[in-house]
Amino acid sequence: MKVSKNELTASLKKAFESLGFQPGDYYDAADMVVWLETHGFDGFDRLLSVLNYLNTTSPSHADLIEEEAGKFVLDGNATSILLCGSEAVDLARSYAIQGSSARLEVINCYNRTFILQRLIKAAQRDLAFVAYWRQQDYCVKVSVSPRAELPVYQTFILNEQLDPQMLRIFSGANVAQLEEEYAEYLQMGAMIGDYPMEIMKVCYTDSLDQGIEIDVTLWETLDDLVSRILVKSTEESRAGAGD
Amino acid sequence: MKNDLHTTEFYSDVTQLPLRPASKVMQLERLGSFHQSRLSFMRTLVRHMVTENWLINRVLFELDTEGYGTVIYEINAKYGTYSFVVFSHYLDPENRNDRVISNQWDLTMALCEGSVSQKQLEFLKANVPKQEAGRVDSRVLVLSRANRSARTFNYVVDSLAHGHQPDIDAIAEVGYLYRTTAAYGSGKLGMADWEKVWTKHRDFARPFAAEMFTCYMLRHFSIQQAEYLALQASPQTGVTLDIDLKRYIGIGNSTGLGMAPFLINHPLLINQWIEMRETAIATVVACSASGIDESTLKRLAESTGRVVQHLGEIVTADERQHKANTAVRQELELLYLWLQEQGPKLANNQYVWSSLIQYAEQHWLVETQELINTLLIELYPELVDRFEEQMWVEEIYEVTPEMMVVDLIALIEEKYDWALAIDFSLQESWGAFWYRSEEKMEPRLGRTHIDMGMEKEMPLGIGYRVRLCYDQLVGYNQSCSKQNVAHFIVKNPTFSGIVARVQTMALTYYGDIRENLIHQDVLPIHLLRCKLSFFGVSKFDPRSRLWVRNTMFQGAPLISDFDQPFKDEWQFPIKPVLNID
Repeated sequence: MKVSKNELTASLKKAFESLGFQPGDYYDAADMVVWLETHGFDGFDRLLSVLNYLNTTSPSHADLIEEEAGKFVLDGNATSILLCGSEAVDLARSYAIQGSSARLEVINCYNRTFILQRLIKAAQRDLAFVAYWRQQDYCVKVSVSPRAELPVYQTFILNEQLDPQMLRIFSGANVAQLEEEYAEYLQMGAMIGDYPMEIMKVCYTDSLDQGIEIDVTLWETLDDLVSRILVKSTEESRAGAGD
Repeated sequence: MKNDLHTTEFYSDVTQLPLRPASKVMQLERLGSFHQSRLSFMRTLVRHMVTENWLINRVLFELDTEGYGTVIYEINAKYGTYSFVVFSHYLDPENRNDRVISNQWDLTMALCEGSVSQKQLEFLKANVPKQEAGRVDSRVLVLSRANRSARTFNYVVDSLAHGHQPDIDAIAEVGYLYRTTAAYGSGKLGMADWEKVWTKHRDFARPFAAEMFTCYMLRHFSIQQAEYLALQASPQTGVTLDIDLKRYIGIGNSTGLGMAPFLINHPLLINQWIEMRETAIATVVACSASGIDESTLKRLAESTGRVVQHLGEIVTADERQHKANTAVRQELELLYLWLQEQGPKLANNQYVWSSLIQYAEQHWLVETQELINTLLIELYPELVDRFEEQMWVEEIYEVTPEMMVVDLIALIEEKYDWALAIDFSLQESWGAFWYRSEEKMEPRLGRTHIDMGMEKEMPLGIGYRVRLCYDQLVGYNQSCSKQNVAHFIVKNPTFSGIVARVQTMALTYYGDIRENLIHQDVLPIHLLRCKLSFFGVSKFDPRSRLWVRNTMFQGAPLISDFDQPFKDEWQFPIKPVLNID
């Protein structure tokens, strides 16, 4: 079946709300899923992979465990980027926006591809971001130029022993400067693939024109989650709607 | 003459003119006293349809003798072609219900992009009548439904069938033949996203333009269907409606609580609407700096007289509204007399409009004040109509993480002083809560600790959330001074939403609506009226503090008027004087 971006976002917000997310968190999480799905990054598959976890645990956030002049380390406490991605990016940009560069690591976190949407949004305030993480046996690297609407998304052969659940984010004035300043961290192995912006654009345009294809089972799962925040209707409650 | 319009710190981005302060404008009672204006969406839509001479043709009219069947209108607008598809069904009168939870209607409708093929028509036929229980696709822009007026529809058909026009007073009492109970757009139920409409369908690239158009077409259909049924019943003696009566027939609307959360969940958009309206007022006030010509004063007198008559013709069983209408009429009669007596002398006065506004603020009801603002805006289309293209804004709410916590505390003290002034230790201050019912997710208002569902409360109590955030910030600042907001959120992640809202809205002129929406005596009807005024409705008829009936497009030009000379003066409809033998 097909859904619109707007109704998908609305449904996801309510679904995340039903999972205990707070306002702010559920807005951001919904936006992250929708962005991935509408730009061809399998947002629904990634959502499915985390729903069970979110459904069986209380929402938890990251803790700041280390801070030193533009270097931050957050412990994700095994949570999802859906819950700690915004605070991580905000922490990095709070430093970078004052003219310096920032390096931030989130350790012990999952579903890191969702960070894409947060980086794109944060880049609209004239900041650049580079981020990378280990995905199975390769490395994903994302670069976002200031005010860019789409990221450069590439995959590389691993050439260092990366913690499988770590995400590194660098923020500063522009991508070239970040590449130079943090060269020691950004030496990747051979590139094994990229995901052209042109395809992201086409995916997005198609999503808008034709709607977004969603598996009926997932849509029903979201409906089930949404139903948790609905209140049983009674004759008395109808009075609270004007009857 | 000194006027507080000139002492405020707020200035319009668009005109650099001083605006009324948020502390005055954003009070819920004032917002609930707004009336439609030239910037209202119906007014804008009609201006575009008429001046661009949209061509609207009936391409299918398959109704049986009872008026049931399918009708399609094809619309050739300035930038594109659209189809308005109507399904007319039999409805047992006992099942006729205006509530959103209803699942049967007299009419169901869809506004679609392009022409409709037979295959698409079959798809629409299978889904549109189900409304929320069906699914449509991204070719559909709006989905809507409507019910016949039990008081007027059959009466009008019978009158026409018997060869005479319906009694104008009977029409005036109701104002329409059909009443719509919902018009869904913006991607609901699989429809086209607003982003698609905005980028691909320029004819409807203004807020709610497609939804308003759907209601306009419903009005057109309602008249055609009534005439068709009359002629079916009496081919020999049946007549069509008098042209002035046709113009006087609008579309009814019932609006309930569902509209209220929209205003709270879209504060940037609401700020934009209000800022444009206020900019229009400021523009008008500024242009009276060096005097007003007599013809403008005369036009104001004429329009004031028209509103007096309009208010006198509104029929409402709501005592509060009736009293308000009466009082506003009396005050406008004073304005009318003043303009009659003093008009010629006023022409050379400086800042006449400032003086009038100031006088009204000191002596008259808020509703009268806002009506006067509407009337003043009306006088200067050449100055204010340009704001119609600025009624939309992209809504992005985001945290400014580098802001120091101490600065955020100061920001809340400055911009949300109204929220900090609420005493939440009083039970009445949190005596109500908002929730979504399992019946079509209808928003409802519950009584705290009395009704079920508090644990599923919607976060619409902005004032309360700001208060909690403020207290947390103050405590945090005492233990961790010189930290920024990013650090505060890492420690207090559940406040990220309200922090983003506060920081975003602080950058706007008008900010949030200044009301405690969880107070036990909250009047949601003010929220509904505010939004409806921007839609452009008239004749508010509150049925309780939770829902209101009103009239859309009453007095508006007909499609047959589109190629005629156009005077954009159909607001505040009054009973036409018919020349009937």
